[in-house]
Amino acid sequence: MILVKNVSKRFDGFLAVDNVSFTVNEGENAVFLGTSGCGKTTLVKMINRLIEPSSGEIWIGGKNIGGQPPEALRKSIGYVLQNTGLFPHYTISENIAVVPRLLGWDKQKIYARTTALLEKLHLPPGKYLSSYPHELSGGQQQRVGLARALAANPPILLMDEPFGALDPITRASVKKDFKELDELKSKTIILVTHDVQEAFELADRICLMDKGKIIQNGAPDDLLFRPADEYVRSFIGDQRFQLEVNRIGSKDYPALIEAFNHFKNRPL
Amino acid sequence: MEQEQSLWQFINQESAKLLQQTLQHIGLTFFSLLIAVLIGLPLGIYITRNKKASGIVLGIAGVLQTIPGIALLGFMIPLLGIGAVPAITALFLYALLPIIRNTFTGINGVDPTVREAAVAMGMSNAQMLFKVELPLAFPVIMAGIRTATVINVGVGTLAAYIAAGGLGEFIFGGIALNNTNMILAGAIPAALLAIVLDLLLSLVQRTGGKHRRRTILIMPLALLLLSSFYVLPMGYNARLLAGFTPEFMGRQDGDIGLRSVYGLKIRTVVISDAVMYKAAYDKKLDVISGYSTDGRLKAYDLTVLEDDKKIFPPYYAAPVIRKEVLQQYGELGPALELLAGRINDSTMTALNYKVEYLKQSPERCAREFLEGQGLYKAPRNGTRGLVRLGSKIFPEQYILINMYAMLIRGNTDLQVDTKTGLGGTKICFGALVNGKIDMYPEYTGTALLAILHPTKEEVGRLGGDRDSVFAYVRREFGEQYRLQWLTPIGFNNAYALMMRRSQAQELGIHSISGLTLYLKKK
Repeated sequence: MILVKNVSKRFDGFLAVDNVSFTVNEGENAVFLGTSGCGKTTLVKMINRLIEPSSGEIWIGGKNIGGQPPEALRKSIGYVLQNTGLFPHYTISENIAVVPRLLGWDKQKIYARTTALLEKLHLPPGKYLSSYPHELSGGQQQRVGLARALAANPPILLMDEPFGALDPITRASVKKDFKELDELKSKTIILVTHDVQEAFELADRICLMDKGKIIQNGAPDDLLFRPADEYVRSFIGDQRFQLEVNRIGSKDYPALIEAFNHFKNRPL
Repeated sequence: MEQEQSLWQFINQESAKLLQQTLQHIGLTFFSLLIAVLIGLPLGIYITRNKKASGIVLGIAGVLQTIPGIALLGFMIPLLGIGAVPAITALFLYALLPIIRNTFTGINGVDPTVREAAVAMGMSNAQMLFKVELPLAFPVIMAGIRTATVINVGVGTLAAYIAAGGLGEFIFGGIALNNTNMILAGAIPAALLAIVLDLLLSLVQRTGGKHRRRTILIMPLALLLLSSFYVLPMGYNARLLAGFTPEFMGRQDGDIGLRSVYGLKIRTVVISDAVMYKAAYDKKLDVISGYSTDGRLKAYDLTVLEDDKKIFPPYYAAPVIRKEVLQQYGELGPALELLAGRINDSTMTALNYKVEYLKQSPERCAREFLEGQGLYKAPRNGTRGLVRLGSKIFPEQYILINMYAMLIRGNTDLQVDTKTGLGGTKICFGALVNGKIDMYPEYTGTALLAILHPTKEEVGRLGGDRDSVFAYVRREFGEQYRLQWLTPIGFNNAYALMMRRSQAQELGIHSISGLTLYLKKK
């Protein structure tokens, strides 16, 4: 469980994160949604201490992370970056093996783990193990980035706009692999995005942020059907009908009709 | 005239020396490079961590880079003396900037996303440095090392000036001796060395992946190995150390004559005459090849060893002038002849002493002398024509050229332009023959041995006699080059071996034969 208590972050007088508190339960997929500059990335980077909070505390598994060596903390948290951040001088297998090596795994175990991950992400190991990142397409690189984050089997995964740099077709395909990956089912995931569709698609819970504060923290249905205020309503905006249909599914006719009426009666 | 030697013959004949100089040069280059890498690389890394220090460090290294090589070596001498230590220190300082700057630039050029990923994976600072930053900055750092290597090969030639050896010995010897083969025998290997090393390092720079790890392990070993090529010039009796100029080393009436006529065997280093006297005074050297009228002889209390077997021919100074200029301006000859026979050895030594040691300006010194002799006249500021006077790059010539300029301005209506500090005999004589200057003071011995190159029989016939040597060079210059020798000024600035007066007295050495005898004793 991740517990964030009254955390603020100030950069040279600018308040990026403003007294934020929330909890993410084990195995939950929490999505931080908001426009650029709303503080969502800063918030997530404080969880693996890439950024230190100006005030407040963060607890993971009952321990205050401020009291641990940051290197050890980071090895137990997978991290996926928007622009992959793969090491250009390492082969694909070396990239995936970074954290296991830092943890001192033996070679066979690393090899087995690396090949297994590549298989699961539909990158045939025979072809890709000794390739270099620049030889791969954007979608393939992002899959390797995910494999690298998962290599040491960390209980927590932080993902900062993981599909943000991909074109729509590649994005759909990477996202599909991502959703089908059984390893992710048991993990606590915090994902940052500005894409409303993506948030609703992947989240067990959405935190909508604006100007450093969490505006609404709840299940996707809460945001959709019980928006906290006008900002939440307008943020979801045009995509509301599509989202509502997706959420409800085609079997639940009464609810669907209610949604349709809801949408129809909304002032344009 | 003797048959001109070809470059190939020269290289063959001097191959042992050439090999030694090349190895010394490689050793000097890499020894200083090794230290520069050992210090520059960590310093470059440090300033990526401490941006405030980066401005200061890069600034200082940049300033060091702008100091001319000769000047930097000059600064080194009072601090570190002569030989390998100051040479390597100077080269190290030159190599520092490209290495620090490229390390700094290379590491700063690492993609911030990659850096963030490395931190987020849980790498420590050291792990990030060695696993991510240094490997990614490697090509840029190597480019810096390449630059430093090429600079060091070039600047390394100057090491010959301070008795540190290397290919500069041939280059500067050749310039001083008007010997093109000798210059090329030093310059071509130096150029090839720069090209080959640059090529090899560019291959290293381009290695990637697994090969690179091997390369990084091999590099320091290769640097160490190449550094070890630098062995101090050793040989013969280690009791006394001689320092000879590059010019002296290559002359029949220099080191060669000392060996063949006297059978002198002494441990020898090559050194510039600019620092030689001081080095003798500071007991870094025991025997030096000086000039008999040099002011520093007096300043540093050195004594001249008697040339009892007469291997140093007379070096009487006299103005050498282009005949057509002399004919064009009739009043010029008499004005220049005013100095004829006026300055003897001790007077010249005293004048040199004033300039070299008391730091008087050559102009003031010249004027005071002319006034004392009643020769000084106020300039007439005439506009009849321009006479261009040249001088070699040492104080005696500066003084003489100032005297001649004053005499011409005071006694004729001619204008005078002086071109002082022309590198050596080759440059001065070349300028005169090609009409770039009209006159410069030359020495009979230099003209005989460095310009005319007569046969051994001819030299033997002249027998080191003042008048016959003068007559010979006067005739040959007139016939071969249409140049006129005027009457000698009086002093004989011959080569001489010198020692500290106190040491010479202590060891009872008064002549070169005495020195040879002393060295033969066990």
